[in-house]
Amino acid sequence: MARLIKTEAVVEGRTEVRWTLVEEDSTPEWPADQPPGVVGEPTTRLTAGARLSGSARYTSDMQLPRQLEATVLRSPHANARLTSISLDAARAVPGVRAVIGPGDCPQFDGEAVLHDEPPYGGAAVAAIAAETREAADEAMAALDPQWEPLGFVVDLDQSLENQTFQDDPVEYERGDAETALAAAELTITSDYLAPAQLHNSMEPHCAVADWRPDGLTLWSSTQGIYQARSQLCGSFGLDQEHVRVICHFMGGGFGSKFGCGPEGVIAAELSRRAGRPVRLVLSRRDENLSTGYRTPARFSFTIGAGCDGRLQAVEASAVMGLGTGGWAYPVLEPVKSVYACEHQHLMTLPMRLNLGPAAAFRAPGVMEGTWAFEQALDELAEAAGLDPLELRRRNHTDVDPSTGRPYTSKRLLESYDLAAELAGWDARDELRSDGRVRRGMGCASQYWWGGGGPPAYADVRIGSDAKPVLTVGMQDLGTGVTTACAVVLAERLGIRPDQVTVRTGDTDLAGHGPFSGGSMTLASVAPAVRSAGHHVRTQLLELAADMFEIAASDLELTEGEVRSTDGTLRRPIHDVTEKLGNAWVTGSGSRAPNPDGMAVNTFGCQIAQVAVDTLTGLITVERVVAVHDIGRVVNPMGARSQVLGGILQGIGFALSEERVVDPTTGTVVNAGLEDYKIPTLADLPEVECRFVGEPDPELALGIKGLGEPPIIPTPGAIGNAVAHALGLRLREAPYTPRRVLEALQ
Amino acid sequence: MRTFAYARPARVEDAAAALSQPAARAMGGGTDLITQQHRGILAAESVVDLRGLGLDAIAAEGEGVRIGATVTLADLGRDEAVRERFAVLHQAASAAASPQLREMGTVAGNLCQQVRCWYFRHPDLTCWLRGGDTCYAQVGDHRKHGLEPGDCISVAPSDLAAALLALDATVDTSSRPQGIPLADLYRKASDENRSTLALAPGEFVTAVVVPRAPDASAYERAGERHAWSFALAGVAAARFGDQLRLAAIGVSNLPRLLDPADPLAGLPGLEQTAWKRRLLSGLAGQALARVSG
Repeated sequence: MARLIKTEAVVEGRTEVRWTLVEEDSTPEWPADQPPGVVGEPTTRLTAGARLSGSARYTSDMQLPRQLEATVLRSPHANARLTSISLDAARAVPGVRAVIGPGDCPQFDGEAVLHDEPPYGGAAVAAIAAETREAADEAMAALDPQWEPLGFVVDLDQSLENQTFQDDPVEYERGDAETALAAAELTITSDYLAPAQLHNSMEPHCAVADWRPDGLTLWSSTQGIYQARSQLCGSFGLDQEHVRVICHFMGGGFGSKFGCGPEGVIAAELSRRAGRPVRLVLSRRDENLSTGYRTPARFSFTIGAGCDGRLQAVEASAVMGLGTGGWAYPVLEPVKSVYACEHQHLMTLPMRLNLGPAAAFRAPGVMEGTWAFEQALDELAEAAGLDPLELRRRNHTDVDPSTGRPYTSKRLLESYDLAAELAGWDARDELRSDGRVRRGMGCASQYWWGGGGPPAYADVRIGSDAKPVLTVGMQDLGTGVTTACAVVLAERLGIRPDQVTVRTGDTDLAGHGPFSGGSMTLASVAPAVRSAGHHVRTQLLELAADMFEIAASDLELTEGEVRSTDGTLRRPIHDVTEKLGNAWVTGSGSRAPNPDGMAVNTFGCQIAQVAVDTLTGLITVERVVAVHDIGRVVNPMGARSQVLGGILQGIGFALSEERVVDPTTGTVVNAGLEDYKIPTLADLPEVECRFVGEPDPELALGIKGLGEPPIIPTPGAIGNAVAHALGLRLREAPYTPRRVLEALQ
Repeated sequence: MRTFAYARPARVEDAAAALSQPAARAMGGGTDLITQQHRGILAAESVVDLRGLGLDAIAAEGEGVRIGATVTLADLGRDEAVRERFAVLHQAASAAASPQLREMGTVAGNLCQQVRCWYFRHPDLTCWLRGGDTCYAQVGDHRKHGLEPGDCISVAPSDLAAALLALDATVDTSSRPQGIPLADLYRKASDENRSTLALAPGEFVTAVVVPRAPDASAYERAGERHAWSFALAGVAAARFGDQLRLAAIGVSNLPRLLDPADPLAGLPGLEQTAWKRRLLSGLAGQALARVSG
């Protein structure tokens, strides 16, 4: 029987309380001493073939009959007023089917989509749908916009001086930091400057809208099909039943694609006006100007500690450049929550700048905060004459230091030990030299959430061919969660994961579930999948019991067979299901809440070894040891891929990625991939990846998320390794050849 | 998206005629031209593809080697004779761009590419080099620009140019088949003529000739990541007997011959580029060490 319950969940640092519908669940837990078959075995991604061969259809690949192509006029000025625009001239261009300007487009989440005072370079002003891209471009030229440029601010310090906040400043206080700092035996102060990192998902933001009298269908490259649906309902005043959002394959999002985006609203409005399907795909440049970024931030720390290295007090501030959107991402969370420290006073100041809106980016706030604070801790270790890992061990906490709550599980100390052993930490000083190439090794801790929670629903059906179809209310951001769900179902039904068809990414399918973010998707949906699978398993065993006249309790499903526990019966599952004809056996499952009053977190430690070429300034990350505690690992192959991707993206932040804004025009000068340098595979180090966690005893199936954890400690570990190599610390990332050579000057 | 006419002539004279038309541009692999076309930089109305002219051979010539204009960087990098006798050229060709781009990009295209300055390449700005009034880099962010003051502070990007300058190569063009020194392929842009190439309308590079093999040669460069990065600076060194030739890109408008005894001469550095002096000095020292007898 279903019931409504009230639950609390932490999503990327924000606590959300919500009501959720939950089914009663009789699925037995996996016994701790018995590995659950395919769960935990390396499994190739089910969609690997489709992705490699090109048959996977992404939103940007969509080609509907009579589909129009859309383009968007964007402001070339850092801040401007549109004084005139020739919409009718654009409408007169042959092949043009719809043109909209400021005032013609519904809002997106309460914000203007097309601006008459575009507040940043790249802000959308007008949009055109035409038979061909060429016609759309010709119409674009006919718009002839006239601008009155306005003053602008793109400098963080200038914005701070002007006190222009984009979001409310966040103040956090516990104990009495001022008094404790004054009394501390050791005090260090240090500053760090983090760059704006651009997401650069391989697939840009895109949408294909098909507005019909009976409703709107939107194909969207989105991390949240259900948010996309709600947003479209809000923008257009439609009922949920009349909006369908589809996202079958996705080329990345990394936090920049929650919901339908302004591009979804523009495509839908153009489709509504033209009476034709409309496709809008952002260019790489527009992507990098308007769809978000990791916020640049200036950190200042004052840390007080005992001579033994135990933290006593921290005062910290973070000035963040939010541009024209986003929220105060938890940049000081690593100060607040990772170590025992009684006295704290933290200030986060989210500033407004004439730049595109910020967006969540893989561990938003926490990654850049970890990068800064973990380096400040190394400075403290040096002041205290302590090994950096020993300093971290001494400040370990068994309860969440901000709430006093116990953790559902925490294996951070084990992570330190294993990482140190695998990296050869104790011999790290032997790496150092005075030659052209200088080596060093550094560590950083990892802290994140990722326990998942309701709502999440799954349905399973199995027919005569014995190949189940699993429907899950979610979308696969590209993390491999689809495959992990198949693994979880395969265990219940005694079959192989590749025999499961998984259907996701469609709001018209049964179910409902989380957005792909916060490292919570798998931890949320897997228990629902297993529960649905268990219902089907129970029914199949009952059918088999009738057929073979053996009690269901004496039967099991394993390796594609129905077997009796005494070994006398071994028959393919197909022998049972073929009796179904065109009927199905079905089962549903939902996600129950996590325990109240406990902190659910993932932990880990990475150790990076770097080689700094003092002649060219180029830094090579030679090796990263990554040890993470994520509870139960469902698919080690998928998990390792996540770790590799996170580390590479972290290397980008540390070494080469940085949006550059021209101070005199306020325009971004490196919005393309030639100038904005994401790492290539040639930059990928040797990675030693281990998971230390046992299944979390307090969580359903013991699973915690892994999307964000691997990127979190990488830049900090690299920063500490570079400082170890050079004997001096670079305070601004990325550590480009220029910054390295300037530091060595 | 911009429409343009496309021609792939089979004869040099036809190509020259086609390139004499206004707003016509030559194309090798298109890796530079097409990106400029997309951004509206010096947008061409007609594109003349030179790959149908049969200029794609690498052949021994006298004591040296002749390299056709449309030889790809990948083929140049793979050539065994070039690797053995002209190490600096092999190294420069193999270090440029990415494996995919090297399969497309051509020798002449690499030599004739436009500067990579992020203001020059900006779709919304028209800088001095593109015919405007302002060198945005001088008042803006020029952290990766040159060491030499001037009307334009962008830097020569071609790795091959440094190698070929060190090798004392000549360039054959459609109208000057007898060849000109490589240095004469380039010119300083002026108020009257913003081009950095000293080619007449319709004229295009047909081959590069290296007259003789050095006794030793080497290329040293610094990039911003381990693949696909234009050189922050690149230094080529070649030794012919006891004569040393040292050439650099990434430090001034044009590929530049350096004085082996004082590589930084005439390159004072700008407000944000002093770090490049250290880099250039280091690369030059390294390149010279590698060719010393």
